[in-house]
Amino acid sequence: MTILEIKDLMVFYENAIAINNVHLACRRGEVTGVFGANSAGKSTLMYTISGIILDVKKKEKMRGGERITVLGSILYESKDIMAVEASERARMGIVLCPERRRIFQESTVLENLKIGGILAKREQGKKTMEYVFNLFPHLRNLKKREGGFLSGGEQQMLAIGRALMAQPKLLLLDEPLLGLSPLMEEILAVAVKNINSQTGITTLISEQYARPILPIIHYGYVLENGSAVLEGTSEELTDNPDVKSAYFGL
Amino acid sequence: MTLEYRSDGVSAISILHHSTLQEPDFYSMEILIYGTVNSIIFALIALGFTLVYGVSRVPNFAHGSIYVLVGFLTWSFVNNSGFPYALAVIFSLVVAAILGFLIYRIVLIRLRGMATSEIIASFAVSLIILEGLRMQGIAGFKGFIGPFYTLKPFIEGKINLLGVFVDYQRLIIIGVGVGMVILLSLFTHHTKTGLSLRAIAQDEQAAMMLGVNSDRMAEIAMSIGSALAGLAAVLILPLGSITAEVGYRVLIYALAVCIIGGLGSWGGAILAAFVIGFAMKISTALFGALWESVVLVGTIILILLFKPSGLLGKQKELEERV
Repeated sequence: MTILEIKDLMVFYENAIAINNVHLACRRGEVTGVFGANSAGKSTLMYTISGIILDVKKKEKMRGGERITVLGSILYESKDIMAVEASERARMGIVLCPERRRIFQESTVLENLKIGGILAKREQGKKTMEYVFNLFPHLRNLKKREGGFLSGGEQQMLAIGRALMAQPKLLLLDEPLLGLSPLMEEILAVAVKNINSQTGITTLISEQYARPILPIIHYGYVLENGSAVLEGTSEELTDNPDVKSAYFGL
Repeated sequence: MTLEYRSDGVSAISILHHSTLQEPDFYSMEILIYGTVNSIIFALIALGFTLVYGVSRVPNFAHGSIYVLVGFLTWSFVNNSGFPYALAVIFSLVVAAILGFLIYRIVLIRLRGMATSEIIASFAVSLIILEGLRMQGIAGFKGFIGPFYTLKPFIEGKINLLGVFVDYQRLIIIGVGVGMVILLSLFTHHTKTGLSLRAIAQDEQAAMMLGVNSDRMAEIAMSIGSALAGLAAVLILPLGSITAEVGYRVLIYALAVCIIGGLGSWGGAILAAFVIGFAMKISTALFGALWESVVLVGTIILILLFKPSGLLGKQKELEERV
């Protein structure tokens, strides 16, 4: 049972191709991984699924800047959402936790979470906030601290918590481990696994560095220069010699 | 001591100082009270502008024209249509809010992200409104190029406050000004709409990922911002008179306050309002009213020399540090 299905997706920045004919599916309740090096198209893929690319495209067009073309189809719960705006997609349950976290730096941790919960009903919001503080007990002590004064790991916890507050049905995590220490990577990988197993939220996670993430995914894709060159279950990918050499450094 | 604030005629500058001081004993009290009044006038004028800029990064150059338009509408509703004063004020503020919404919806939405075009377009709207009003009354407002058109104060009369005579209108300005700042702060920290506004102000796309509709928020910000300009008008115009020039001057004041405070920073705008308000009041008391505009521009230059991002324009520093 797929919640998200991407077919023949192509994204161009002017004439440069960022996503080349990608097919990808997320099964309901599972964690799906997307791996790839820098500039493989992971973030573009995430922006395309979450609809942020439409906003980027609109602004570029107004400025007379880069021409961005998006072709293909994205089916979410069997509906084509290609033309749906980002905020509306969030309303439908597609919530992106973006690369480099982008938390609201001048708002406190608590306010960041509250902003995340704008879509949630009052009761839902309270419940989710409690869940987030249980998931990341460390955040509980930082409630009053401004987002800009958090460490990278704390910011990432907050960004994930904020995304959860928006009551996602499909949670998109774009490089959640970027620039973090091995210890923090471990904590966050466990958290992602727990979110999935405890709440059943379907998760799509992209990462450069596969080692901490591979064990927690159900199914994964490998992107290279915008194309999905490889796909398989967690075990299949782990055993694949190409993946081993490229992403494990073995 | 004379307190005839309107004696020197049409100029809106007249709302920012009232009389030459004669007795040194009154200096400090006088400066304190009138400095506060001036500061809050500046804050009220700039609040709507900075709200809109903070949320949608749109410099709303139609701000001053909405200010004047609300003055006219209120005057017109009272004198031509015979509405009670309170009702006229409410009607005008509603019109201002709708106008703000329309300016965004019709004009600015097509120009998002292009600051220069936004400035030119909103200033064009401003010119249409102000020069239209100057040419010939809109909505039945006739004979506008006359001597004085002014709104009447909410409560006439003045009171002796610690040895300084202050008219009730100025006290009302202080009260409403402080009230509005508190209300806005509560609104932006504790309601969903307010939180969405702040989210958009900090990172538009990150807010969109969480389901905030940025155009809707910009419309709301423009409506609130315009209503705030209108509120400032009905509070402050009774101290001066309604002319097209007031619109341009109000725009310049709003810009000055926002630039000194740090563009888009709400706390900075209030701080800057007090800096300018007191700087101008003190210079008026010490050197006379002539120096007022010199001090205004001097303060801007001085502060920007030492802190180019404005008093509380700290976003950049944070970004660099993280």
